[in-house]
Amino acid sequence: MTDPMPHPAPLPETAIRVEGLEKLYRRTLPGDRLRTLKSVLVEGSLTGNLRREDAIVALTGIDFTVARGEAFGVVGGNGSGKSTLLKLIAGMLKPTAGRITVSGRVAAMIELGAGFHPEISGRENVFINGAVLGLSKREIARRYDEIVEFSGLGGFMEEPVKNYSSGMYVRLGFAVAIHTDPDVLLVDEVLAVGDEAFAHRCIRRIEEFLAAGRTLLLVSHSLDLVSGLCDRVLWLENGKQRLIESPRRAIDAYRQEVAEKEAEEHQAAKDQRGAAGHAGHAGDTAASASTTASTGADRWGSREAEITAVRLLNAAGAEHYHQQSGEDATFEIEVRAAAALTDFVFGVAIATPRGTEVWGTNTDLAGYVPASFAGAATVRLTCPAFRLAAGEYTVDVAVHARDGAPYDYHRRALSFTVTESRGGVGVYSPEHRWGFTGDVRWAETRGT
Amino acid sequence: MFRVARQLFRFRGLLGTLTARELKARYRGSVLGFLWSLANPLLLLAVYSFVFGVLFRPARSQGIGDGPYALFIVSGLFPWVWLSTSALEGSMSLIANSGLIRKAVFPAELLPMVVVLSNLVHLLLAMPVVLSAVLATSLLTHTVGGAGVVMLPLVLLLHLPMIAGLALGASALTVHFKDVRDLLANLLTLLFFLTPILYSLDFFSGGQNRMMQLMGWVVRLNPFTRAYQDVLFFGRAPEGVLWAQMALVSLVFWSVGAWLFDRLRETLVEAA
Repeated sequence: MTDPMPHPAPLPETAIRVEGLEKLYRRTLPGDRLRTLKSVLVEGSLTGNLRREDAIVALTGIDFTVARGEAFGVVGGNGSGKSTLLKLIAGMLKPTAGRITVSGRVAAMIELGAGFHPEISGRENVFINGAVLGLSKREIARRYDEIVEFSGLGGFMEEPVKNYSSGMYVRLGFAVAIHTDPDVLLVDEVLAVGDEAFAHRCIRRIEEFLAAGRTLLLVSHSLDLVSGLCDRVLWLENGKQRLIESPRRAIDAYRQEVAEKEAEEHQAAKDQRGAAGHAGHAGDTAASASTTASTGADRWGSREAEITAVRLLNAAGAEHYHQQSGEDATFEIEVRAAAALTDFVFGVAIATPRGTEVWGTNTDLAGYVPASFAGAATVRLTCPAFRLAAGEYTVDVAVHARDGAPYDYHRRALSFTVTESRGGVGVYSPEHRWGFTGDVRWAETRGT
Repeated sequence: MFRVARQLFRFRGLLGTLTARELKARYRGSVLGFLWSLANPLLLLAVYSFVFGVLFRPARSQGIGDGPYALFIVSGLFPWVWLSTSALEGSMSLIANSGLIRKAVFPAELLPMVVVLSNLVHLLLAMPVVLSAVLATSLLTHTVGGAGVVMLPLVLLLHLPMIAGLALGASALTVHFKDVRDLLANLLTLLFFLTPILYSLDFFSGGQNRMMQLMGWVVRLNPFTRAYQDVLFFGRAPEGVLWAQMALVSLVFWSVGAWLFDRLRETLVEAA
């Protein structure tokens, strides 16, 4: 039987190896059931005698390895094959072609509490669920208290689980699954459930799990979660492997494409409206469509005015993307108007890479009422003694109409880092000092 | 078929736990609870005794002897109920638990087996009722019962692979064809009458016409009911031929059922 204690023999360095993986699903055509059965019984395969056009290609050409101790994320739209991949790795589905090797004890969290029996108590369900996940009775008994404590359901363990709320159900399911002590944990979108406090506890537990050198494969729509936890990310698109990259790159690329598609749809809808409503402006629409050709996820707008350069300057006026907190900072934007504008606003916004807005302002908020803007211009926003906390920041710059209609909105036009000699967390680091009265002594102050 | 057996052995602990869960869940919320397992057969025996002892008394069936007809019926009927319930519930077991198969890594063969085993427990709990009735009758009239009853566990043990094979095969097929359940229900009704439960085999021994001879031959294909009647009602050890027949039937059913299940195994996650 499986041993819950540390493994005497070290596991291989590669936790998951996927080679040339392909998975076809058979289309369920009416009246096709007998043929399906025949194919299964005679050939032992659902898809063996299948013509390509009768099959749904769930996954094809998937190749990757996950090293032991690595956290590997899988992102992609609905129907891109993420869950199928996870079920294949878990051994629930059989690949149509290719090979999957997983070493070590595997636990899959596909739906938490799948297999709970509604009529019987939480306690009994813990034992059954644990056994389903491969633990012996003795192992579960040893971890029982820990499981209950983690789930926070101490007062409800003797209740039949049909009386549980859906959140309680999921909490107990997660608690059991994480306490099976797997070497490889496969997680399918289950961390989004439960309340925020519990979700945080789950994530902390997974971080501990990773710190212990275990392997995680995480399928999720929550890109922040994936980028927060994972070392590498696979982007699946329509069953194909689009790319495998560091989380930031993979997720940026994924986000960009999603936004591009949305922008296209948006533009198409707008064009349609325009064509239907303003036949006279058809020429304008065509012109603006051609100028938005370069619009990406991080950049959109009509381009009646265009941002041609964005720079961060230090007090000496030199380009400088590495600041000391408290130094002067100047954001310099070069803008060109295609034709003279009478309605325009220049704006700058600073955010953390995780998307937390730090500060933003624009000429309208500052009280500048536009009169005219033509040709090329340089806009400078200077912040003397700019006191951001240490960290990395991104800058969005924009030129838009006063009602918000963007001419050119450029997200993450640049990024910069801030360092600070004194510690501190957050995004803002004001000028500050400590004072003490009473009997408070310090052994020393480390020089700053 | 060996793989199914291996899996069942490997997860025997879980199989036991799940069977216990099934039994517990079944009576949860009822006042008598587990006592129903005893009360049900007792009430059934009472009903048959009332119907065939009071309401309408059939002419002495051939080959039953002087023992109470109701007792003859239940000694064949209770094992039959094990078989038919296992087959019917078993056929739906994968679909009913599709959440478990689709959403968790789970050895699917446990599901039909849990049905078979929990119904076996019900049968075992009915046995004291039958045995007490047989004992009481034999003390009064000496017409039924005997030392052959010690063979009962052996008959049950031989019967188990047959019923398990039936439930396994039916469960895997039902995932692809829901029709199996309805077919099976009607087939079981037919088989019930083709099994010497309500009558004894001697019924056919006259050989009045070809049809009856053929029927007699078909009925002889089910050795288990006769074995149960031997050990429970007549209290005698079944003949050697009967043992051989039981072993053969059991082997065939298990092999076919387990082979079907194993063959369809990979499709269950997708289709359940």
